[in-house]
Amino acid sequence: MTVAAGIGYALIALGPSLSLFVAVISKKPFLILTVLSSTLLWLISLIVLSGIWRAFLPLKSTTWWPFALLIISSVGFQEGLRVLFWKVYKRLEDTLDAFADRVGKPRLFLTDKMQIALAGGLGHGVAHAVFFCLSLLTPAFGPATFYVDRCPQMPFFLISAIIALAFVTIHTFSMVIAFNGYAEGNTTDQYFVPVVHLVAGMVVKSAFARCFCLLSQKFSLLRILFLIVLKNCQLSPETALVVFVWLNVLCHACSF
Amino acid sequence: MAQNQRPASILDTLGEEIVRIITPVSICMLMVVILVSILSLDDSSSSSAMPTIATIAYSETGSDSSWDKFMGALLNSLVFVAVVTAVTFILVLLFYLRCTKFLKIYLGFSAFVVLKFSFPIDCVTFLVILYNFAVVGVLAVFISKMAILVTQAYLVVIGMLVAYWFTLLPEWTTWVLLVAMALYDLAAVLLPVGPLRLLVELAISRDEDIPALVYEARPVAHHDSGSRDGVVRRRVWSERRNVLHDSGGDVNSNAILSGNAGSNLNSGVVLSVASGHNDTRLAGAEEGRVVEANAELSAPLIDRRMNDNMHRQEEDDTSENLLLEGIGLGSTGAIKLGLGDFIFYSVLVGRAAMYDFMTVYACYLAIVAGLGVTLMLLAFYQKALPALPVSIMLGVLFYLLTRLLLEVFVVQCSMNLVMF
Repeated sequence: MTVAAGIGYALIALGPSLSLFVAVISKKPFLILTVLSSTLLWLISLIVLSGIWRAFLPLKSTTWWPFALLIISSVGFQEGLRVLFWKVYKRLEDTLDAFADRVGKPRLFLTDKMQIALAGGLGHGVAHAVFFCLSLLTPAFGPATFYVDRCPQMPFFLISAIIALAFVTIHTFSMVIAFNGYAEGNTTDQYFVPVVHLVAGMVVKSAFARCFCLLSQKFSLLRILFLIVLKNCQLSPETALVVFVWLNVLCHACSF
Repeated sequence: MAQNQRPASILDTLGEEIVRIITPVSICMLMVVILVSILSLDDSSSSSAMPTIATIAYSETGSDSSWDKFMGALLNSLVFVAVVTAVTFILVLLFYLRCTKFLKIYLGFSAFVVLKFSFPIDCVTFLVILYNFAVVGVLAVFISKMAILVTQAYLVVIGMLVAYWFTLLPEWTTWVLLVAMALYDLAAVLLPVGPLRLLVELAISRDEDIPALVYEARPVAHHDSGSRDGVVRRRVWSERRNVLHDSGGDVNSNAILSGNAGSNLNSGVVLSVASGHNDTRLAGAEEGRVVEANAELSAPLIDRRMNDNMHRQEEDDTSENLLLEGIGLGSTGAIKLGLGDFIFYSVLVGRAAMYDFMTVYACYLAIVAGLGVTLMLLAFYQKALPALPVSIMLGVLFYLLTRLLLEVFVVQCSMNLVMF
């Protein structure tokens, strides 16, 4: 709609990840590299998926099952990628520990490992936000806006920004939960992540309900996810409080 | 918080050099993207390019067929690369004949031209400001005693301006030119007859600096270096020829492009690691000591400080050797990246920006990945490596993939609110 609105949409999608980046990640160069490489990995997975699905596009929007198939295949592929990421991370951890021994420094602490997982998840989330929201935002800087048939109550950019925000959070914390689950062999956690991912994708798609219902469902899911994350890892109290309060505000705003 | 009492783990400082190179590259690319998106007109009409060296063979118009455009672009790039090769050989010759003064003067002149004439605004005060800016820039480039931040900033600005000039070329020409330059770089640095390799070897054998526009990342200072904020660690190649003392050779070349003239080009893009020669505050210290590699491959040697006592240099075993396979970061010492690399990366990203922002992100990630791969190869092979080929090839590949495959997919998915 205007430059201000465009910047606003961009900040909705990427605001929390930016603050997370500045507060946690920018202090340790290794985490910056982790973010970049996981973003790249996610992009590659997206390109592979688009290569596979290119022949079938554009999909007819009347039937729902092609979309379901699309979501299931994409989520499955990305979850497989997460397992691969975990395996690479294990090797990296061994290398890092050996290096630490040689240099005479302590091995990786638990918080270090969680920070690496957080950085990896943040990379995925930022990639999602960038490619699904920011790159489509160019028209939003102009004088008009755009609506989609599925949800005529809000401009399309706002929808994609809010959904991108939700997915950033999901991706970021899923990685932490998943790595924790893999490390401890906790199968509940291990299966929780792909299920949440799938459900989130489906919930977005099943736009039978009104837009607002949809969004509030999404955010309740987020709240559950967040509580589980809080149980598992120990964020600093300030970060946890800020994110939680802010999530609550959004939930209430969306479900009036 | 609890973290304050823990000893610093390796995660705090690992990878710092790579980030210190990636940051200015990213800044340069970002500025070029901003410039391009603000100043871009519709590109089909603005292909009324000024006759430059790069379009001398063929001027692209919008109405030619794809094949014609491609052949024309190929012709242009061949001419360009030929000119670059010729000029690089001249540079090698001059260096061989020790005409370094001439080279320095020429460098200063081209920097001055780039900084001065790129803003076509005619206002007296502006001219005065610009003149000052350009002079300081030339001094910064020339004299290495300036605050390193100023030098770095000026180098990034020069790179940005030249890259913006390049993006004004017609589209096909730009892409084919990028690929041609990447191939040229590969040949010039790795082939034994390549001009850049000759230059590098001359510089090493004479133990001199090549006069060139090179971006040097700030050397990593150890955390507990307290009083000293210069180079604390050094890295020495323990190759067989470094027997007694060797500052590791400064191997750096560059690409200087004088913007408007467009007619002379010194090119060569080499990525290398050098020992920190610039900070000569370590007065009493030797340039570096070498211990023959024990049983392991040629591994970099690191002089590091102990955490408790402030020793300056130590004979160290090859403790960082492990990094070569795992991370490939090696140790410290300044990483130098030629300005031509900045320029061509930014040209690629700027060109991608002329299409859409999705391609910008994809190309940015590809270039950074290529740079990371190159740095790792550098730590592994320990000699001058071309920094262009991997990044440019990855960048072009990702651009094509994004433009052809990804964009349709993502737009379709978003329109139907299918997001994952």
